[in-house]
Order: sequence, then structure tokens, then C-alpha cells
Amino acid sequence: MGKIVAVHSYKGGTGKTLISLNLAVTLAKMGKKVCLMDLDFRAPSLSILLKIEKAQYWLNDYLNGSCEIDKVMIDLSLRIAEKDRFYVCPANPSIEAIRDITARDRKWEMRALGRLLFLRNALLKDRAFDYVVFDTSPGLQYSAINAIVAADIVLVATTLDSSDVEGTRMILHGLYDLFEKKAEIVLNKVTFLDSVRVGREKLQKMVKDVYSAPLLEAIPCFCEISKAEGKNIFVHEKPDHPFTKIMYEMATKIEKL
Amino acid sequence: MSSSEFLESKKPLQVLEKIKESLERLNEKMEIIIELQKHGQRDAQAIPSEAPLDVMTLLSMPDHLRKTAMAVCRMGRATAEEVAQQTKRARAVESAYLNQLVIMGYLKKERKGRKAYFYIEK
Repeated sequence: MGKIVAVHSYKGGTGKTLISLNLAVTLAKMGKKVCLMDLDFRAPSLSILLKIEKAQYWLNDYLNGSCEIDKVMIDLSLRIAEKDRFYVCPANPSIEAIRDITARDRKWEMRALGRLLFLRNALLKDRAFDYVVFDTSPGLQYSAINAIVAADIVLVATTLDSSDVEGTRMILHGLYDLFEKKAEIVLNKVTFLDSVRVGREKLQKMVKDVYSAPLLEAIPCFCEISKAEGKNIFVHEKPDHPFTKIMYEMATKIEKL
Repeated sequence: MSSSEFLESKKPLQVLEKIKESLERLNEKMEIIIELQKHGQRDAQAIPSEAPLDVMTLLSMPDHLRKTAMAVCRMGRATAEEVAQQTKRARAVESAYLNQLVIMGYLKKERKGRKAYFYIEK
């Protein structure tokens, strides 16, 4: 059976959406059947990045119990890979929808967790998806914790910013450990580019010492990514870029987890 | 039928099973009494009959109960035996924790024949 991967972080701006979108596309290009879900309901981005202007149903509607997941899934396979490989479930980006989801009570969140847990059967078992990738909101928000509980693997995107390091340490032990989740560190925006390649073992030891969690991948700080302004799917547009190569390495490692 | 007649008419294994089942029910009842005493309540009425089992509640639970509650969350509806298979703990232990969660208002319990099912009321 396939796997559910949640991409989470303590702080915002660590590259969760960049990593989840490019990882999902990379897996699809490798021939896997992938569904990418936008679980950042307070600041949805997939609809904008993938230029999905109108949708009959959003992921919000699925969690509300107003429709089944099939109605939300948009097939974007032909944009990046062969048929039946890449599906997306965007979150509703309208201000009303963001307001609406922010005001939900605990009982609603409990039902939403049940709906997310149900995806294991609905997508991995019944529809033979190899991967479901959750792009989550940062920190300890309901939607993010629901996603973590429903996931098999949590990729923790983090930078070397000191507040991010401390916060990440906190959630590793106060969140993922409590739910017995396998957490893997993705160190993003690493500025000492050479050390990433040359001193990989050293970096791995450093991460292990600081976080007591394994380093899955280190991604250097690439100006080309900022320059692209989120207007394209990077790994698709730039197949020979070092970032794309790192995404393929990361996807291969995830396969083996 | 008197109890001696009952014993004679059944095979030893069936009798043992019957005893085991009765002991399990007795054990469940004792667990409930212990739990009620812990809450310092005279009856179950004063304890909330329903509390949402959301992720924040799960996070604030003691580790041993969270493990049980998570297993029910994943399965939706389960017996103590099924929960024990997931958590790899003893059935009797899971039965105690599940009954605690029922008393705390997070789970509901329903009996069907010999089996007791635990579930989350949506």
C-alpha cells in the first residue's frame, strides 16, 4: 500500500509548499500515482501556484462532509507527466472560506480528522495511489496536527534560523513523538553550499545532535527559485537544475523509508 | 437448569470460556468503579457524557491512553481485542483503557452479543 507524507514546519516561510509541490511532481514523473493536498486552509497557495481559478468543490468541502474526495481531485497529470499520475486537491482561497475554517469548533476538527484518516482507504487502498502529499500550515494549528496524525511520514522543513531551530526541536518531541510519527528533517535554504555536498556526513551528525532526528535532505539556498516567483513548477521547468536533482534524490530516499 | 446440570451438559472448554467471559465483564465493571472513584463522583451522571476527541485533546492525554484512543481513531470502531492487536499490548489492558475513555466521555461503547465495540460518536 502507498504512503501519506505530510510536509510540516514550526515556522512559516521554510519552504513547505515549494518542497511538497516539487516532491509530488517528482514522484509523479518517476511513475508514481500521486495526490497533492493543500491543508493550509488559512493561507491556501496551490490554487494560485497551479492556476486553478475555479473549482466546483474544494478540500474544505470534503472536510465539511459536503462531498466525497473524488469531487475535489483535479487531474493535472498531462501538465507534467503521463496519464493518471498527478492529482491536486486545492483549498478554497476565498476570504469567506478562510474565515469560515478559522471559526470551526473542536467537534468539527474531530470530524475533519476522521475524514482525513478515511483517505487511507479511499485513496491508497481503493484508488491505488502510491503517495498522498499533505502541504500543511505551520506550527500547532488544528489542520496541521490533523494532517500529521493521518500521515505515515512527516517531513519537517526547517532553516538554520535560531528561532526555527528551537521551535523545530520543540515540535519534534512535543508533537511528532507523542503521535509516534516518523519525522525526517529537510534542511532548507542552507547557505554554505559547498559543505552540503562535501561534508554531508558532518551535516548529518549535526542534525542528529541538534534534533535527535535523521536528516533526509539538505537544500541549498538557490536564487533561481526566488527569481522564478512561484510562477512554474520548478522541477518540471528546470530538469537539469541542482534543485531538481536534490528533489529526485529526496523522492528516492522516501521510497526506501 | 441448575448450574450443576449446565456444567454437565457442556464441554470443559465451553465452561472455561463462559467463566472467562464472566470474569472479563466483572473486570470491566470493577474498572468503571475504580475510575468513578478517581473522579470522586457518586454516579456517572456528573461526568460529561460526551467530549470531542480532537487532536488537542489527544495531545493532552497521558501517553498510555493516547495510544488506545489513536487506535480507535484509525479504526473508527473496534473491540478491545482489535485495539490490542494494533497497540501490541494485552487485551485486558486495552479493555481497561477503553473503558476509562468511555467514562471520560471520549468514546461510546456498544454491546453486540458477546462482543463490546468502542467507537467515536461523530
